[in-house]
Amino acid sequence: MSDQAVETRDLVREYKGGVKAVDGVSLTVESGGIFGFLGPNGAGKSTMVRMLTTLLRPTSGTAIVAGHDVMKEPDVVRRRIGVALQDAAIDPYMTGRELLRLQGVLHGMKRSDCRARADVLLGRVDLEDAADRRVGTYSGGMRRRLDLALSLVHEPVVLFLDEPTTGLDPVSRVTLWDEVRRLNVEHGTTVFLTTQYLEEADQLADRVAIIDGGLIVADGTPKALKARIGYPLLSVVAADGSTPDDVARVLAGFGEMVPGAREGGAAVRLPGGSTAMADAVRALDDAGVRFAEIDLAEPTLDDVFLASTGRHLAGSDDATA
Amino acid sequence: MMKGLAVSLGLAGRNLLLVRRVPSVFIPSLIMPLFILIATSGAFHGIGALPQFAGASYLAFTIPMAATMGAGFAGINSGMTVARDLEGGFFDRLQSSPAPRVALIIGPMLAALVRSIFTTTIVFIAGMIGGVWLPGLLSLLLIYGFALLFGASASCWAIGVALRARTIQAAPIMQLVVFLSVFMSVAYVPVSALHGWLGNVARFNPVTYILTASRSAELTGSIIWSETWPGLVAGFGLLILLGIFALAPLRHLENR
Amino acid sequence: MTAAVPVIRQTAALAWRSIVTTMRLPQAWFPALFFPLVLMAIFTASFGGAPGTIPGFPPVRSFLDFAVSGAIIQGVLIGGTTAGAAFATDIEGGFFDRLVASPTSRTSILTGRLGASITLGVGQALLFIAVAAIFGARVDGGLVGIIVVVVIASLFAAAVGGLGVFLAIRTGSGEAVQGMFPLFFALLFFSSAFFPLDTMVGWYHDVAALNPITYLVESMRLEIIGGATIWTALAGIGIALGLALITVGASALALRRRLRVAA
Repeated sequence: MSDQAVETRDLVREYKGGVKAVDGVSLTVESGGIFGFLGPNGAGKSTMVRMLTTLLRPTSGTAIVAGHDVMKEPDVVRRRIGVALQDAAIDPYMTGRELLRLQGVLHGMKRSDCRARADVLLGRVDLEDAADRRVGTYSGGMRRRLDLALSLVHEPVVLFLDEPTTGLDPVSRVTLWDEVRRLNVEHGTTVFLTTQYLEEADQLADRVAIIDGGLIVADGTPKALKARIGYPLLSVVAADGSTPDDVARVLAGFGEMVPGAREGGAAVRLPGGSTAMADAVRALDDAGVRFAEIDLAEPTLDDVFLASTGRHLAGSDDATA
Repeated sequence: MMKGLAVSLGLAGRNLLLVRRVPSVFIPSLIMPLFILIATSGAFHGIGALPQFAGASYLAFTIPMAATMGAGFAGINSGMTVARDLEGGFFDRLQSSPAPRVALIIGPMLAALVRSIFTTTIVFIAGMIGGVWLPGLLSLLLIYGFALLFGASASCWAIGVALRARTIQAAPIMQLVVFLSVFMSVAYVPVSALHGWLGNVARFNPVTYILTASRSAELTGSIIWSETWPGLVAGFGLLILLGIFALAPLRHLENR
Repeated sequence: MTAAVPVIRQTAALAWRSIVTTMRLPQAWFPALFFPLVLMAIFTASFGGAPGTIPGFPPVRSFLDFAVSGAIIQGVLIGGTTAGAAFATDIEGGFFDRLVASPTSRTSILTGRLGASITLGVGQALLFIAVAAIFGARVDGGLVGIIVVVVIASLFAAAVGGLGVFLAIRTGSGEAVQGMFPLFFALLFFSSAFFPLDTMVGWYHDVAALNPITYLVESMRLEIIGGATIWTALAGIGIALGLALITVGASALALRRRLRVAA
């Protein structure tokens, strides 16, 4: 039994016309952890998940999920994984309970087992009251919880979540995070989640891989990745007749500049932290440079993304879709 | 094997559940065969005077056609459900489960067959109200049997289209082919009365033999083998061909 | 008089737009041409032996001559339903609101749509006669006969168009209007569109005898197969006109009520 929940080697998915949604991805995910797959829209996250969950055939490369090759033994893989994709794949005309039971049947469970399991899962995701209502009447958060429950019916070894909180309100999002953590801790389920929200990756994942344009651009624990960036970032926005270049000239003396990090201003990595910040402000004053905004920020995964790709991660700052 | 059966039954049950839950989609397909029976036998009643009918009741002649059409509609509906699932994403759930691929077709097909039994029965009852009493159990059996055969084939056709088109917009294609296959055969008159181009087309159309066979026990109550066996060959042949048509894309679902 | 000119021009412009958008969308015009023609072909081939053999069948040269008028009515009916659905889509999509917010005269919103329906109806009638002629059918009434047929077809087109607009305004949904289509199709079957009234029996015969569509079809049919008189022509035109007045009137009222509420 391998220790790795997921292992891919040079995985490629090419579409007609030569578009490579996934362009040679090699990664490993250790069993028992939460793995975050972070990237902007169109980076190839969903394509990766679909290949790993046997819904899509890779053009080349190999993928071993839960110890089995997705192309050679898809049925075995299907029995060991749980899948909750974007757009919560549900049938709006059935009730939550009916869908859970059907999922059990699909996995070859006995009728009586299906019923029992459905009851247990409904309790776990807190949908007991709505269990006999049609799913079409559920809120977005409820649908995601049901989707999660559906993916757990057969007690999978690896759980795949594709953008589980996209479009959810902040409260539902936190609820889902708690549930995912609990799954991981109490049941030892390995979780492979994709997300476009760096906060989600930061909070939930033990390890993060950042994907852009079908390729991995960074890979490691959130802490390690951020530490690689280095010191906190001081960014200043010019105002009132002073230009970004004026600001940059002053800040250049304090550390390594980060071009493009702040619109209408300049940003620098400050080795001294908050004490150095006071010096920088004084320096700007002395030079007669006026500024409208100034802040000191710890490195974030967005900074990691920026450093690797030269662009910001879309939607990185807020929790709205 | 047993698991395949269980999954098929589970999916069939879900389809039938949808009939109750979303009546707007299924009611037309339940009322249509009844309408066809009444409208056809009423409007074209006079054609029964043609010598080729030999005095038989035109209403009785129409019953098998209406039953077969009803089964065809039921088959189309099962295809539309698959298309809707593909479009809405529910099919992903079915596909990523270890359910045998065949069950994804057999399930909806079984539901279509159940609905076909239902519509055929409605047609029979309407026929009885109209005064037609079929001579013997055998004629009943033939009509049900061939309706189911046609319904299964229509189901395979519609599901095959759904798996390839992956959208509910393909519904007209499903419907058109089924309609034309019935109309371009002996829907309204026996094969001996068909003129010109339609006579030629009908002779190549498997539905012609299915309908003729379906009617073959109506007159006397006992089977006229020369009319029945071509229907069996045509019916099962059609089912096998269309079954392959429906199964083929299952292998390559992961390629899309 | 000066107020009428812009209305006419606007009507023409909106009618033109409706016609063009219909022609550009295959699912809008295809059913109205395909189904009547295909059914006409199938019925002709299936019932070819009927004329001369079946009691109650009028004297015709061939079944095709008999079938043309029914096909025209069917085509106009399908076309009208599609037109109603298009109007509903305009409402759903906001085009209708844009018209209302512009200096377009209210009348032309309706007359434009009806103008399009009538034009398309005339086109259909002529097309079906031409197609039937290719396969051997002849119009016994000659040019006058053709004119009568076209007039009845266009009035019926206006009637169905009016009904479509009425339903569109009341339901506001293209899907709901399309859903009515089977109902109209049923109405067509309970008439003499496909087979002679005199061959029907029992309650079915009685229903068909009460159906105004039967008389429209017969009036047109007589022009083609022979036996038409000035009275049969006037009867058909009169009934079509009556239907048109009812539905167009209803739709005009519905339109006015909606505009009043919206304004």
